[in-house]
Amino acid sequence: MRIRVVGLGARLVILLTFAVFFVAPVLWLLLAPTKSDKALITNSPFSFGDFHHVALAWKHLDAFSSHIFRRWIGNTLFYALSATAITLVAGVPAGYGLAIGRFPGRRLVLSMTLVVMIVPAAALVLPIFLELNAVHLIGSSLSVILPFSFFPFGVYLAYLYYATALPPSLLDAARVDGCGELQTFLRVALPLAKPIVALVFFFSFVADWNNFFLPYVVLADSNQYPITVGLWDLLSATPSFNPSVGGGGQSVNIFKPELALATLIAVVPVAIVFLFSQRALVRGLVGGAVKE
Amino acid sequence: MASSVLTSEYAGATRKRGPRALQGLPFVLPYLPLLIVFGIAPTIYALDLAFTDVGGGWVGFHNFVRTYDDFRFIPAFKHVLAYTSVWLGALMVFVVGLALLLHGRANRVSATFRFLFYMPGALAGSAAVLVWLFMLDPSVSPGSFLLHHVLGADIFAQSIAPGNLPFIFAMIAFWTGAGGWIVVMYGALNTIPHDLEEAARIDGAGPIAIALRLKLPLIRKWIAYMVILSFATGTQLFVEPQIVQTASFGLVPDTWSANQLAYQLAFRYADFNGAAAIAVDLLVIGLAAAVLIVTRGGLFRAED
Amino acid sequence: MKMHRRAFTLVTLVAVAAAALISASTSGASRHVGASGSITVWVDAVRLPVAKLYAKTHPNVHVNIVTFDGDGNGATTMQTKIQLWNRTGHGWPDVIFSEQANDPVWMAQKPFDFALNLNGVFPKNLLKGWPSPSLAQCTVNGQLVCLQDNLAQEVLYVNKKLMTQFGYTVPKTWQQWAAIGQKVAADHPGYIIGNIGDSYGAWLYLWADKCPISQVVAPNTVRINSTDSHCTRMANLLDPLIKSGVVPPESVFTADFATKWGGDNDKILMMPGPVWYAKDIFSGTLHVPAGELTAATPLRWNDEPLVTGQVGGGPWIVSKHSKNVAAAIDFVKYATTSLAVKSKVDALSPGYPSYGPDASVWLTSLDKDPYFAAPEGPAFKAAANLIWKGWSMVTYPDQPVWSNTVVTQLVAGKTLSSLLSAFGDGLAQNAQAAGYKVVRK
Repeated sequence: MRIRVVGLGARLVILLTFAVFFVAPVLWLLLAPTKSDKALITNSPFSFGDFHHVALAWKHLDAFSSHIFRRWIGNTLFYALSATAITLVAGVPAGYGLAIGRFPGRRLVLSMTLVVMIVPAAALVLPIFLELNAVHLIGSSLSVILPFSFFPFGVYLAYLYYATALPPSLLDAARVDGCGELQTFLRVALPLAKPIVALVFFFSFVADWNNFFLPYVVLADSNQYPITVGLWDLLSATPSFNPSVGGGGQSVNIFKPELALATLIAVVPVAIVFLFSQRALVRGLVGGAVKE
Repeated sequence: MASSVLTSEYAGATRKRGPRALQGLPFVLPYLPLLIVFGIAPTIYALDLAFTDVGGGWVGFHNFVRTYDDFRFIPAFKHVLAYTSVWLGALMVFVVGLALLLHGRANRVSATFRFLFYMPGALAGSAAVLVWLFMLDPSVSPGSFLLHHVLGADIFAQSIAPGNLPFIFAMIAFWTGAGGWIVVMYGALNTIPHDLEEAARIDGAGPIAIALRLKLPLIRKWIAYMVILSFATGTQLFVEPQIVQTASFGLVPDTWSANQLAYQLAFRYADFNGAAAIAVDLLVIGLAAAVLIVTRGGLFRAED
Repeated sequence: MKMHRRAFTLVTLVAVAAAALISASTSGASRHVGASGSITVWVDAVRLPVAKLYAKTHPNVHVNIVTFDGDGNGATTMQTKIQLWNRTGHGWPDVIFSEQANDPVWMAQKPFDFALNLNGVFPKNLLKGWPSPSLAQCTVNGQLVCLQDNLAQEVLYVNKKLMTQFGYTVPKTWQQWAAIGQKVAADHPGYIIGNIGDSYGAWLYLWADKCPISQVVAPNTVRINSTDSHCTRMANLLDPLIKSGVVPPESVFTADFATKWGGDNDKILMMPGPVWYAKDIFSGTLHVPAGELTAATPLRWNDEPLVTGQVGGGPWIVSKHSKNVAAAIDFVKYATTSLAVKSKVDALSPGYPSYGPDASVWLTSLDKDPYFAAPEGPAFKAAANLIWKGWSMVTYPDQPVWSNTVVTQLVAGKTLSSLLSAFGDGLAQNAQAAGYKVVRK
């Protein structure tokens, strides 16, 4: 009995230590905009300042480069939602088709999807850049949205899901009733799709929101940046983090609290999607085969 | 048009030949252009670039040799190797360990911990690096005590000393990525039938024995998936060193990782062939690791 | 009476017309009477105020201002951006400000081919206002491809109050400076006489001592001899000072530096630094109290002829692809000249203007500033002509090499002397990667 308690205690200590590791920086980030730049150094890291500083930090952040921060957030929402829409429309039916299909080349498509998942983005982004350049898409939003909407992980998830969660009997029943392929899909696969749609939406949206390398490469105009690249741009354009040979630049007014606020705002949409997808995530992650 | 043909054929559901040979294809069709344009074609294009020169002429392995001789190549790959080892090691030990620890009795406590571990995942990419820039600066960080005693750092420049970098980048990647994988492993552990566990307990096995001898082998497949995918993302390291390079006023070079070197070759020296050679190097390493793990880890063995 | 009035009117009209014609023909090489249209300018944070001021005072011109990192600390942002624009065939800004004095060198050559030849486009009478070394620095292959915004000669900043308090005299040579350093380490630990942790440390100490590590000796050939006696002797001078902590390997721009040696601590006794440290760094970044600082002429090596180093002095570059060259030139003209007009509307220029007449205005104003214990103007002016000419602008940045080969190791406790060789190797590798032939002797 004593060993059980000690074991339980040890387990709790380990879990708590890791919890602190994961949570402390987030907590710091939440509290940082409430303090002034000086207070961040002098006061305790977890002290609460006041809301006045948050408002001030927002004012400075918004004033940076004529409200470009708002544009960055808007861009990211636009890119992520558009690309995820395409991913869902193209990818979920594809997963279904691969799961129940019998066409020649089915295995090929499946293995290509798997292989491409392993190919490093480094290998793909540069040729994609050249491809997009050849069709004069560089500089348009499509240069970001179209590559984003190719999401093999989502297709593979949908394939796994339909392969395991779709009872063949349901399919046969529909066919016996005289349903064509499209009707079978609408009658059988679509109603079952909710968990997988939620899952793919989550992964695709988060991946698109957090993607840095592709937009960094293909977008030359900082007005089109998504927030990930925007944050880097903010960092590099502010003297407190990238001091100018030439001194000064204090009029830009971006210091630690502003940067912390920018980071915080950048993660809010994803955090919201996180919270809403929590349930679908845990249940749906193992291909619908989790037995509660 | 295809469906009407198929409908008329379904009067007898026993027929398994003919038009049914294309069953499922229409649903896959919208995805195929994406797969080809953004998956297959770039891969082939990258291979093509790696073996040709600027004019398009075949040059064999010249680009590979040339980039290998670049003075930044070996350090970049060494860095990536060090980083990936630490990153995968942390994943395998801590993710699996934490998932096993969480897979106990108290479900609500477990769920709370899972959520806490998962939270930083929302900050992947540049946001996470910005947070850690603050965490690594002893003048601001809540962990300055740890920075002093573990890294021996009293100023930011010491935190990001060259020897510390693989660990620091691995820590940032772990901080954002571990939560997701813990949830996956936890879900995988949930697929283990309860009766197996009960049987082992009745046999007198303690919780540690159950965890290591029963549960662990049964989620081997998932661990392998995690390692394969993480290996691929690990070798692609770009965001973390790129941002720390700016924030450190150049103390970290802009070609620290192989991916950064490929970027510089492509966009600073306009050497797309060299960049492609490095990308192919990374691809080969990723595939080799995948094959190794699949065969050694017995991934596709039937009995699982 | 009527006749007179008519004649008078006629004469007036002719006079006005003549005046208009004359002013139109001297208002610049173009036929535009004033700048109009729209331009895009890329500036760093420090130049942002002047860009905004131009936009405010020139409502006819729509100015799209983009703030970026200015290619600071040896970044290669501009190289990657220009490649991208060249490849896609559009997107080039009209004007770029760069913090890297060597950016115009590669911008003017293939494959970038970005910089506009300013000969004949920029008003000649204005060009005369730039010192000839400044124009020479902006001349690549015989073409004037940029205009320097501010001069950046190095001087020795001195805290007069502390020096008097401790009873030291202002040093004239590096040797005297080092001797004071030794005394400070013993008698007043915690005070510093300089720093070596910035990305331009090599410019402060090695350029100032004629160390030949960036010397173009023939077309596309650069001499990088980091073990030359000029380099090693400076390293030997610095090593005990670095070790004893009076010349720490930290950057003035870190919050840590300001906390340790600035502000209330007020522990900066002396500091070799460029003229643009003047008020912005000491007052703005480091919060050194007023009434203490001044500048002295740069240090010389024993009794050798006096030369000094240069830290920056960023250029303005106009794009070859600009569709509104008139407005672009007008912008650059505004940014680099007419300080007397601008300072009535907004604050003083942060740096020592390259344009002579503006420099006079700036120096006068600086000398009146009560922040300083004694006028810095004389030292600034004297040092302007002392920059060692043996350091050439090349197409690759040396700041990153200094930072990640030398500074990281200084922080770890190594000596500068032990790092000179590796520093030279790093520079040589970068030079070769950029296409130069390297001479190591």
